[in-house]
Amino acid sequence: MFETIDQTIEQLAAHEYICDRKLATVAFLALKMCKPILIEGPAGVGKTELAKVVAQALDRRLIRLQCYGGLDETRALYEWEYGKQLLYTQILRDKISTFFAATDDLRDAVEQLRRQEDVFFSEHFIVRRPILQAISSDEPVVLLIDEIDRAEEQFEAFLLEVLSDYQVSVPEIGTVRAKWPPYVIITSNNTRDLSDALKRRCLHLSIGYPDERRELEIVRLKVPAISETLAAQVVDVIRRIRSLDLRKAPSISETLDWAQALVLLDAEHLTRDLIEETLQLLVKYDRDSQQVSEHVTWLLSGGNGQDHDHDPHDHDHDHDHDHGHHHHHGPGDHHHHGSGHHHHPQGHRGQEQALRPPLRPAEPDLQDMQTRNLEHTARYFSTYRGRIDGKTGGA
Amino acid sequence: MDASINRFVFLLRRNGVRISPSETIDAMQALACAGLADRATVQTVLRSTLIKDAHDIPLFDELFDAFFRLPTADRGSTHGHGHSHHHDGDAEEPERIVFDEDERGMPATDGEHAHGEPVPIRDFFDPERMVTRFNPHQSPNQLSLSAFSQGLILNRNKGLLDQVMKRVTHQIRVRRVKNIAAPGGLNFAEGQFRLDDDLVVNAVEALLDDLQDLEVDETLLRHLAGRIDGIVANLPELLKRYIEREMSLQRGQDAHQEPVRSAYRYRFSESERREMDEIVRRLGRRMRGGRSYRRYVSHRGRIHVAGTLRNSMVYDGIPFNPVLTSQRKERPRIVVICDVSLSVRNTARFMLHLVYSLQSLFEQVRSYVFVSDLVDASQYFEQRSIDEAIAAIFEGGLIDCDADSNYGRALGIFCQRHLSVVTNETTVIVLGDGRGNRNPPNVRALEEIRRRCKQLVWLSPEPRGSWGLGSSDMPLYEPVCHRTEVVRNLKHLGMVAEDLIRRPAAGGRP
Repeated sequence: MFETIDQTIEQLAAHEYICDRKLATVAFLALKMCKPILIEGPAGVGKTELAKVVAQALDRRLIRLQCYGGLDETRALYEWEYGKQLLYTQILRDKISTFFAATDDLRDAVEQLRRQEDVFFSEHFIVRRPILQAISSDEPVVLLIDEIDRAEEQFEAFLLEVLSDYQVSVPEIGTVRAKWPPYVIITSNNTRDLSDALKRRCLHLSIGYPDERRELEIVRLKVPAISETLAAQVVDVIRRIRSLDLRKAPSISETLDWAQALVLLDAEHLTRDLIEETLQLLVKYDRDSQQVSEHVTWLLSGGNGQDHDHDPHDHDHDHDHDHGHHHHHGPGDHHHHGSGHHHHPQGHRGQEQALRPPLRPAEPDLQDMQTRNLEHTARYFSTYRGRIDGKTGGA
Repeated sequence: MDASINRFVFLLRRNGVRISPSETIDAMQALACAGLADRATVQTVLRSTLIKDAHDIPLFDELFDAFFRLPTADRGSTHGHGHSHHHDGDAEEPERIVFDEDERGMPATDGEHAHGEPVPIRDFFDPERMVTRFNPHQSPNQLSLSAFSQGLILNRNKGLLDQVMKRVTHQIRVRRVKNIAAPGGLNFAEGQFRLDDDLVVNAVEALLDDLQDLEVDETLLRHLAGRIDGIVANLPELLKRYIEREMSLQRGQDAHQEPVRSAYRYRFSESERREMDEIVRRLGRRMRGGRSYRRYVSHRGRIHVAGTLRNSMVYDGIPFNPVLTSQRKERPRIVVICDVSLSVRNTARFMLHLVYSLQSLFEQVRSYVFVSDLVDASQYFEQRSIDEAIAAIFEGGLIDCDADSNYGRALGIFCQRHLSVVTNETTVIVLGDGRGNRNPPNVRALEEIRRRCKQLVWLSPEPRGSWGLGSSDMPLYEPVCHRTEVVRNLKHLGMVAEDLIRRPAAGGRP
């Protein structure tokens, strides 16, 4: 169980899920407050994974509901098993006729039947779909509602009752209330806006790409065979790729795939060729891979030894600036400055901001504008001449 | 604590974040669960319970920093005011007007702090405040305003109250005067000091009410009376600081807005394209757009097993009457009419991008471009890439782009030749600035379109202020449309999409 936030971090880490404090806080609160978590973020940052790990850490069963377009309550909540009902009525036909033998008239028979009708609308004939399974489970479970944004908006309405009161109303039977409120995790890729009513009932968490240190930690944990230098290089290149203007930036799952592939290829360190050969693991669009190929030299400029000359220079520059700025404010600030200095080697703060791909020629560049200008003039004259000739009639 | 949270929620709401009462309650419960041990946790807790939209998060973080400000962070702030901060230690004081004291109605001077009431949350962040709180003999201007108002109540001094009210109104007037710029100059009233009028009015009213029905101890009264003079003298100063603080909170909202990106670009970057697609998808949803994968009972399609079995029960289990379902697509029917003349050249590219996105995301989109003539450009967008299509249109192969735009004529042509594409399920979007170069505006044509369509939306790149100027016919077109919006760039478009989702189109002349 998650008793404190720190313990939550530890427990998740014990099951190979490295998270920051933010995520742990929300995971912890969700358990304490019995509230669903709504996780939003790009694909592949570990949204679904969190549910699996939480289930492991809490030692609960994971019930998963994958949403898709056209998902309706018969697939998510429950459905009557008509086939079974039909079969039972067929089999019990003899039994039923003997059952009615004692009745005198039709009225009695109907009365008799009505007393028995709940046999056919009982829980025996209900197919439990994931949500009802989670609600009626005898032990606490983790319910994962994956990619809710793929389902239609109407589907969210079915969830509202479940999420706020942990109960499901089946008209023929009544309300099924959860013995144990399930730990609900809802994920969304944010392809559409979810309704406010749904959001209101959830704790909201948006996961982005992890910072460098954490990503490195994740790579080392998930790909234990990888060498120290290669891991650092991989993470650095990935971060640089993410800063490019891509249609789909590589996320953690892609990082891990790539690291795994590099290990299988027995790579010691990254090279230009290696990146180009394995590019398809990282980016999934043609235009994106073009862009990455264009920038390969820049991508590799971070992790190599020679570039250590370059980076500190950058940092120094920053410091000088800080220094001058603080100097006016008396000795008290020196301390502050000092602590800032210590921060750099750990957090790579300076680098984080400096990370920007080399600019391509600015979008409306001068030469380009000139040629367009010329074109325009040429067109103007051609149409003008046309009008003189009377070929194109102007209004 | 509750009061602080409430106040914070109020602030968020004022900055356009929607927070329901149940979420506020959640936030308080969550804080009780997680504890107030450290600032980052409190921030996470409040963010996860109050903020449900990822794009509100930067705003939240900013406001959180401004609201629950650390005194140390204050001093090391980047504004370079390091010096003034030291004797500004009391600048924190007026905050109390708002956050805690008012709610509890306790004078700040009392020693019996422990009423069993929750300690205000800010105190966890501000160890220095604890010291002043328990030290009643600070300089008079360290008293909070509410303590002072309390003093007034205790004193039952009508004359003094009048004096204070005069000062308060005086204060407002002074600020107002400052707002008025020199004649002929530009007015930047937004950035000026502005007093939260509600606060003053409410405070004074509450004070008056309390004054009527309060019985108090004589000695306490005299004890407090001694201080009041000093406070009254400092009132303007206190108010000023309060306003400054409020302004810094308000600034959070302004800083949130990015510098407006020009729509004129030769090419569109991937991220812009993505953003555009996303916004258009949202727009489409509003226009009955999204494709539906739900299956409906129909005459053909796949057999629906459950339905068939259910039906067959009537016939003793023999499936006489199979139930068939098929997929139906709820098609958005969109007609886009886009001005590509020179006057809107700067934004036409952006508009065509919008048209292109609409066309590629939805099935039934017809696009028309016009200057003076009007032609169907749907094919261009369907068959080519966006850059090619836009280039083709501007090159003038399709239409004479260098002519003067004539809205009346273009709308007339549309009505004559293409009106049949408009049905009662169609949303018509007109993109243009409504500048018809003094040609007849032909409002009747637009009325005709409106009568036939489900929704008529006009997106103009020109700011509303200049619609009436020059040869703009927007004032004539506007009442005919269901909606008119100003859209210059992606950000505006996003805002319009958001607005359409929250507040469906209505109004306009029937």
